[in-house]
Amino acid sequence: MNMTERAQSFVKKNMSMEDALPTRMPVYVNSVAYLFGAMTLAALGMVILSGVILTIFGPDWWHVSSFGHFINSLHFWSVQLFFLGLLLHLIGKFFMAAWRGGRWRTWALGIIILGIAVFSGLTGFILQTNWDSQWIAGQAKDGLNAMAVGAAVNTMNSGQILTLHIVLFPLLVVVLVGVHVVIVRHESPVRPIGSEEKDA
Amino acid sequence: MSAQSEANLKGIPTKPYDLLREGLIVFAFVAVLTIVLAAIFSSPDYPAVTIKEVAQKQPIAYLQMVTDYFSGNSDLQTYGPPYTKNPENAQTFLGIAPANIFGVTIPIDAQKDFVITPLEGIAKMDPGVKTALDQFQAAGDKQQQAWIKNYSDALDKAAKDEESGAHQSTTTKAETGKDTASTLNLPTGDYGPVSVLMQSMLTFARAGFMAGALNTTSTSPYAFDNTKALLFMAGDVESDVADKLDMQGGEWGIGHETGNYPGAWWLWPYTFLYQIPAIGNSPNADALVGGIMGILLLVLIFLPLIPVLNRIPKWLKVYRVIWRDWYKEHGKT
Repeated sequence: MNMTERAQSFVKKNMSMEDALPTRMPVYVNSVAYLFGAMTLAALGMVILSGVILTIFGPDWWHVSSFGHFINSLHFWSVQLFFLGLLLHLIGKFFMAAWRGGRWRTWALGIIILGIAVFSGLTGFILQTNWDSQWIAGQAKDGLNAMAVGAAVNTMNSGQILTLHIVLFPLLVVVLVGVHVVIVRHESPVRPIGSEEKDA
Repeated sequence: MSAQSEANLKGIPTKPYDLLREGLIVFAFVAVLTIVLAAIFSSPDYPAVTIKEVAQKQPIAYLQMVTDYFSGNSDLQTYGPPYTKNPENAQTFLGIAPANIFGVTIPIDAQKDFVITPLEGIAKMDPGVKTALDQFQAAGDKQQQAWIKNYSDALDKAAKDEESGAHQSTTTKAETGKDTASTLNLPTGDYGPVSVLMQSMLTFARAGFMAGALNTTSTSPYAFDNTKALLFMAGDVESDVADKLDMQGGEWGIGHETGNYPGAWWLWPYTFLYQIPAIGNSPNADALVGGIMGILLLVLIFLPLIPVLNRIPKWLKVYRVIWRDWYKEHGKT
């Protein structure tokens, strides 16, 4: 088999069309708790859409344009909903012990995404180019400096914070969320506790 | 389905499902909610505090900052890595000072960068300042410090007088938010050339040139890096503003923004640690909080593999509510 054939075989073995675009679900997938992941993804979509518009016009635009301020407000509130969805999703999966059946890597990846999202949010707050960003940059620098992160990430270097916020962190979040979702679909939703012998 | 899904769902009945329909409904709901929240509540935008503004409205506070840097005795001048070579001041966690690993990566000499360099620029335009600067630099260190201390003491006295309403040149106008007098009149004293130098720093800042002078680099006309201008301001004046807006670390810091907006509330576990006196009042507070949060993050990542912790959901039994329909049908565990 050549490389492409091997890749085809790998995908066929691990991800069927029914996994990727399911038309049936196990009957136990029947709770509002299952919606929080979708809510997080939807809010992430709104974060990216509003962020792309802000990116086009630059970091100062929203101070001088009422439409720009509205787009900034969409970005602000979609971030709030993103973290709300993420927190509820995390709590729901904790109560389900959703790491059972060999799914602990999916859980770990989710926590890593949360960690990256926190830094993405921090760089966003620092980029507001107003009092909040001025104060937060000054406060956050001490925390980052104390842990040696400040040697690489300078909260007062606006150019660096801008590129981290609009390129690196979103890229990491989107790619890792994609991997997280693919693994979730590959593994199928975890069974209710007690419904199988293999509970870890 | 994949082989793994087949194995995991063996014996489990399924029901019809439409992923795209559900996804679109959730997205539409979130999109509408976001638009409604943005339209009703907008977002906070409290203007940044500028050097020009402080020099115009609080000239004494501005000059106190400048003389602090000028004397070489400000906290920033002994901050430690990544700004200064003071490894003894790096915060420690469990006896380790992480900041010392990489050392000084953003060198800041506050006396030179924040005062001498701007003064050298002003001296090129103002012969009087050049003479004063030459006189200052020709003097010995002891004499320089004596002049700065005398001037600084006079400023401190003027600040106290201002609080009590005795200092005529600044108080009334500062309180109304209008420009104060362009010249700061301090009592006669042995300030040497320092009074001329500080007056020129005040005039320079009031004209709005100081931030630009701090951010200018010799290699580029672009100013992506605002470290010096922001660090210059990161002192008592900013702290006073934060006090008035309830944004100090002891008030949950960045957990909220100005105007009662939610901020980074997801950092509450982080900001909570600063509310514990033993941590918040420690000289190593940032390192302690950072270290504890790092450990908590690792615990969270590997929680599924940690005995006892990974059994908690089974003891709490909240899952019975989540899967109540399943258990109704198939019996409880």
